[in-house]
Amino acid sequence: MNPMKTQKKIKMKKTNRMEDMNNHGPKAKSHSGEAEGPNGDWSWVLVGALFISTGLVFGLMRIMGIFFVEFVNYFEESSQSISWITSISLATQQFFSPVATALCNAYETRAVVMTGGFLSGLGLIVASQATCLVHLYLSMGVITGLGWALVFAPMMATVVANISQRRALALGLGLSSIGIFSFTLSPLFQFLVEMYTWRGALLIMGGLSLNIMVCGALIRPQWCSKALKKVDSKPRSSCATVLRRVSSYLELPVLLERPYLTYTATISIFNAGYFVPYVHLVALSRMTGFSEYQAAFIMSATGVTDILGRVTTGWFSDLGYFRTIHLLSLWVMLAGLFIILLPVSSLTGSYATLMVISLLYGFCSGALSSLVFAVMPMIVGVERVMGALGLLQLIESGAGLLGAPLSGWLKDMTGDYTVSFIVAGSFLILGTLTMTTLPHYFSRTDPPPPHRVPHDVKDRGVHLELDCINNSPSDSSPKGAQ
Amino acid sequence: MSASWGKLFFQLVLLLASCGHINTKTPSPTSPSLDPISPLPSDIRRVVLKGESHTEKVELLNPVDLALECIWSGNENKSPNITGYWRKDGEEMQSIRVTVQLENDKYTLRQVFKIVSKENLGSYSCSFGDEAKVDFLLAGPQIGEVRDKPIVSYVGDSVVVKCKMDEKKPKPVSWNWYRANGTDKEQIFYAAEPQKYEIKNHEWATKLVVHKLTEGDSGFYYCEGVYAVSTTMGHVELKVITFLEPLKPFIAIIVEVIVLVAAILIYEKSQSKKNSAGGNETNADQTNTPTPGDNNGPEESSSTRQRKA
Repeated sequence: MNPMKTQKKIKMKKTNRMEDMNNHGPKAKSHSGEAEGPNGDWSWVLVGALFISTGLVFGLMRIMGIFFVEFVNYFEESSQSISWITSISLATQQFFSPVATALCNAYETRAVVMTGGFLSGLGLIVASQATCLVHLYLSMGVITGLGWALVFAPMMATVVANISQRRALALGLGLSSIGIFSFTLSPLFQFLVEMYTWRGALLIMGGLSLNIMVCGALIRPQWCSKALKKVDSKPRSSCATVLRRVSSYLELPVLLERPYLTYTATISIFNAGYFVPYVHLVALSRMTGFSEYQAAFIMSATGVTDILGRVTTGWFSDLGYFRTIHLLSLWVMLAGLFIILLPVSSLTGSYATLMVISLLYGFCSGALSSLVFAVMPMIVGVERVMGALGLLQLIESGAGLLGAPLSGWLKDMTGDYTVSFIVAGSFLILGTLTMTTLPHYFSRTDPPPPHRVPHDVKDRGVHLELDCINNSPSDSSPKGAQ
Repeated sequence: MSASWGKLFFQLVLLLASCGHINTKTPSPTSPSLDPISPLPSDIRRVVLKGESHTEKVELLNPVDLALECIWSGNENKSPNITGYWRKDGEEMQSIRVTVQLENDKYTLRQVFKIVSKENLGSYSCSFGDEAKVDFLLAGPQIGEVRDKPIVSYVGDSVVVKCKMDEKKPKPVSWNWYRANGTDKEQIFYAAEPQKYEIKNHEWATKLVVHKLTEGDSGFYYCEGVYAVSTTMGHVELKVITFLEPLKPFIAIIVEVIVLVAAILIYEKSQSKKNSAGGNETNADQTNTPTPGDNNGPEESSSTRQRKA
C-alpha cells in the first residue's frame, strides 16, 4: 500500500468536497477509503445509544430465565415448552436481521430502530396479559423478537459505519452492556416478580424496552439511504427493477464475494462452538462435584471477565499495533484452546483450576465477540456494512442452532461433557484456519476495503452520495441537500 | 390402613369409657390395664440430661406406646433418693410421682405413655425434684416447604396456594384448608363454594385454587395435614393487588421515554433551524469544520498504514 497514493487520494477528496459545496457539479470520483465519521463527538453519543439498546435486547433475553419458573407454575407446562420462548425470540431476531437492514437501506435507520423499540416493548406488554402459552410464544417470542431484529443489526451497523477511529473500542464498550445489564437487572427483576408477579414484571420490562426508542431517536438521519439514489429511477417500476432494488437493499450481491463468504463461513463455524460453554459450563461444574452455588459463581465470574475482555481488547486493537483481524484470530484460537482445557481441568477436580480456565475463556470470548463486528467494514466496506451485518446474523444463526444440540447429543452419547467441549473448541480453531484463507490475511497492513460503485448511480447519483457524506449532522435530512 | 382405623376407633371407645371416671382437668394417660386388645407399636425416646434442662422434639403420626426416659447424672450432693415427676402441658400428673434411686451414679425416670389421639400430644416434662427437667414436645411432623414471602395475585385472576410435605416423611391421611378470620381459623369447605375454591390433593402436597380473586381474599391461609394422631399446620400469605400497582411505575417509564424522545427531536429541530437561519455561510462553516477533522482522520490512518508498512 503506497502511502504516497493515499495522500494524493485524500487531497483529491478534499478538493472534491470544496468544489461540490460551490458548484454541486458532478464529479465522477468515488470516495476513497472508509467513509470517515463526519459526526465527531456525536459518534460517541451513538456508542451510548448502542450500549443501552444492546443491553435492552440481549441483556433482557438473558434474564428471561427468571420468568420461566413462574410460567411453569402458572401455566403448568414443562420447562422445555417454556424454554421455547427464548429460542423463538432469538431465532426471530436473527432471521429478520437482513430484513431490518434492508429496511434501513430503503428508509431511515432512525425510523426502523424506533419501530423496533416500539415492537419489542409492545410484545412484552401484550405478554403480560397472556392467558395461555401460545400467547407467550407469539408476543414474547415473535413480536419482541421482530422488534429486537429491527434494533440490533441496524444500531450495530450504524456505529460501525460512523466510527472509524476507535471502532473496536466503541464496539467493545457498546457490547459490554449485555453482561452489565444482565448482571444488574437480574436481581431487580427477581424483586419485581415478587412484588407484582410475572404479569406486572413483564409490563415493566416492556416499558423499559421502550427506551430503545430513545436510542433510536439519537440516530441522526444523515446516514445515506439508498432511496436517495432512486431519485432518477424510472416512473414505473418493473418487476426487474423492484427485484434489483430489493436485492440491493438486502446487499445480496455481497454473498457472491469470496472475502465475505469466507468471513461468514468463519463466523458461522465460531458460532457452532462459541455458545457451548455458556450452555453447559454450569452442568460441567456440577458434574465435577461442585455445589450449585459454586457453579453459579463460576458463571458470574466468567460474565465479568467477558465484559472486561470486550472493552480491553477493543482498546488494545485500536492502538494499532496489530491488525484487528490478526487479533481476532488470536483470541479465537485462545478461546478454542481454553474450551478444550475446560473439561481437562475439571478432571483434576480442583475448583481453582476450573475457575482460572473459565475466567480466561470468558475474557477471550468477550474479546472475540466485539472484534467480529469491528473487522466487518474491512471486508465489505463501510457502505455495505448494514446489509452485510444483517445477512451475517441470519447465516450465523443457523450454525448457532446446530451447536448447542450437537453438544448435548454428544454428551448423551459419551456420558460426559469432555467430547462436546473438545468438539466446540475445535470448531473455533477450525474457524481460525478458515479465516486465514481470507485475501491479504498474511499482509502486515490492512488492505483497502472494497468500495462499490453502484451500477444504477453512475452519473447523477454519485454526487448525492458525496453530499450525504459532507452534510453536517445538524443539517436537515439529506433529501433537502440538493 | 383400615386396621389402624379400627384400632383407633376401639381406643377411642375405651377412652370415652374411662373418661367418665376421670376429672377432665387433669389429663392422664390411659392406664395400661384398659388395654386387652392387640398392643400398639412401641417407641422409646431417651434423653441423657447434661445441664439443667433440655428440650426434645418428638414427631408422631400414628398411635404408639411411647416410652419416655430421662437420665440425669445428678448434681454435687448426690442424694440417694430424689422425687421424680411428670407434667403434661404444665400440669402435674399426680398418679405417677415416684422416688428415684441413685443407680450407677445416675437417676433414671421412665414412663410409658399411650398416644392414641390428638389430646395425647403436647408437652411432656420429666423433672428431678426442682433441679433438672427434660421437655418432650410431642407433635406432628413439620410441613416441608413453607413459603415465607407472600403469594401475589391480581383481582379477577385465579391463584394456586400450595402446601407440601417432605416426601421423606409419611404422607398425611387428608388435608384441610383454613382461612384466617380475625384470630380464628375458618375451614374452607370445598362443596360450599365450588366456583370459588378448589382443593386438589396429591399425596404429599395439596393445592388450594382460589378463583375470581377479590381484595378481600388477601390474608393468611392455613393448610393442615391430618395424620392418625396428629396434625401439622403450614401457612401461606396471599396478597391480592389490582393492576394499578405495576401500572404506576410503567406509566412513569412511558412518560420518561416520551419526554426524552421529544427532547431529542426538538433539540435537533432547533439546531437545524439555527443553521438554516444562518444560511449558506453557516452551512459552509459547518461543512468546513468537519473537514479538518476529516483530514486528520485519513491522515492519521494513512500514517498508521505507514507505520504498519
